[in-house]
Amino acid sequence: MNAIDTRPTNSVSSSGLEVESLRFAYQGTPVLHDINLTVTEGEFVCLLGHSGSGKTTLLRLLAGLETVASGNLSWQGRPITGPSLERGVVFQDYSLFPWMSLGDNIALALAKSHPEMEKKWRLNLAGEYLEMVGLAAAARKYPAELSGGMQQRGAIARTLALGSPVLLMDEPFGALDPVNRARLQDLVLDVWSNADPRRTVVFVTHDIEEAIYLADRIVILGSSPGRIIQELRVPFARPRVRQTLTRLPEFQALREQIAERFRLDTLERIAAESVVGGDAEGI
Amino acid sequence: MTKTNLISSAKISLSSRLRGKPAAGPAAARSHSWLRLRGKEGILFLLGLLLLWQLISTSIHFSGAYLFPSPAVTLKALRGALPELLKGTVSSLIILVPGYSLAVVTGIAWGLLVGTIPWLSRMFSPFARFASPVPPTIYIPYAIALLPTFRVAASFVVFIGAFWPVFLNTATGAASLPQRYRDNARILGLKRVEYLWRIVFPASLPHIFSGMNVGIVFSFIMLTVAELFGAGSGLGRFVQINADYADYPRMVAGILYTGAVVLVTMELLEQLKRRTLFWVK
Repeated sequence: MNAIDTRPTNSVSSSGLEVESLRFAYQGTPVLHDINLTVTEGEFVCLLGHSGSGKTTLLRLLAGLETVASGNLSWQGRPITGPSLERGVVFQDYSLFPWMSLGDNIALALAKSHPEMEKKWRLNLAGEYLEMVGLAAAARKYPAELSGGMQQRGAIARTLALGSPVLLMDEPFGALDPVNRARLQDLVLDVWSNADPRRTVVFVTHDIEEAIYLADRIVILGSSPGRIIQELRVPFARPRVRQTLTRLPEFQALREQIAERFRLDTLERIAAESVVGGDAEGI
Repeated sequence: MTKTNLISSAKISLSSRLRGKPAAGPAAARSHSWLRLRGKEGILFLLGLLLLWQLISTSIHFSGAYLFPSPAVTLKALRGALPELLKGTVSSLIILVPGYSLAVVTGIAWGLLVGTIPWLSRMFSPFARFASPVPPTIYIPYAIALLPTFRVAASFVVFIGAFWPVFLNTATGAASLPQRYRDNARILGLKRVEYLWRIVFPASLPHIFSGMNVGIVFSFIMLTVAELFGAGSGLGRFVQINADYADYPRMVAGILYTGAVVLVTMELLEQLKRRTLFWVK
């Protein structure tokens, strides 16, 4: 791997994450169709879609975990050809290695982002990252000893320790109960807004309210094959307060608008399939 | 809970783990060996066997009595033979430990490589498919003829017996590494050696321990069979020589003692497994 600046960069000349006429198929089945997307540096974008919309595939492509079949993907003008410390990923679950303590998991990331650092300083720094996510006391615990919410905090700390300017999150709170989910959403927002310069975040979710609460901009993906059906800017000022935000009529209108867009997409798909299939059965 | 409480409880759970106490409930329950005496039933069955042994040995009054010594006679023979058996154990371990250790080290290392590098797997798999099912006892006469000393020859066949199960299980474990570990390793930018040592190896440990378990059983089979062929001492040799001299109480004592040695070895391996695999859910 080339020498990589692992801190969020201050560069403004380049253009963040860019996806250009991207297509992706898995074993002959189209998964993503003609995706064009730009995420500017420091922006918080949610990819919102149901299962089958290819949102996870798009995130994996951005991470460099899948190879592009056709189209272009780039970060700061440089094509994405594989995983890089520039783009940290938090998966839905099982991100941490269960045979290492939480501290060792973080230290493993630090060994990559700070190769010159001595091991004991890495462990110290690992403690600081854990403190950032409220897990200061759990450095010597193993993932199996932690709740799902604590494991995701650990996964976030590990990704932060990588020092990546881009954070890719694949339904990171999908398996959590509502209370932990809300706490971790706030944690992510805190971490994101307190950094200077801000990291670029692409956050995959199927939860409309989560997307509105978190994002600057929501990219709505339709299903089979996945394609972008709408992009909309979230108009609410930050910092957002959950209790008041969700009661706003504008919030509810936006939520209903997005839900309606999904319903429309579903109806269109059903119509298209019955035309193509000819003898497709009604529902 | 206060911060210090959290820290100290973390320390306690860590140190209890180092002492080999299972960490979580379900993991502990599953890792229990079936060989363990579970409750009254196991003990009752063993007592029943002992009683049956006693009954049969006392009800045989013809020449068979001498072929089938009673528990008391066997126990006495065992006590008398103990110094010799201990010496035999040392002699056997001198063969077993190097052969088995070499098999574990090379089986794991080669298994990790073959399990993760496709061309290596394409190269080695046809040979492994041909060579691994060959009953390793078949090599004993040739190994004895070929290698300079009996100990080297016996160690070699112990190695062969243990290598295949360790290698095959390790390679299977490495090849079936869950995608999520691979993804996370790639995200962290781990290089090949790091990836093998810090990710593939620990993730394959459950498979590796199954291989080591089968391997140790094979090792003992190879060891005792090899000793029947030509050892000057050792556990298999002890049983063979007492059979030759028709000293059946000592021979039965030797069989029971060998069983106990195998049991203790398996138990040590089980302890190692439980300490190492505390993280398995």
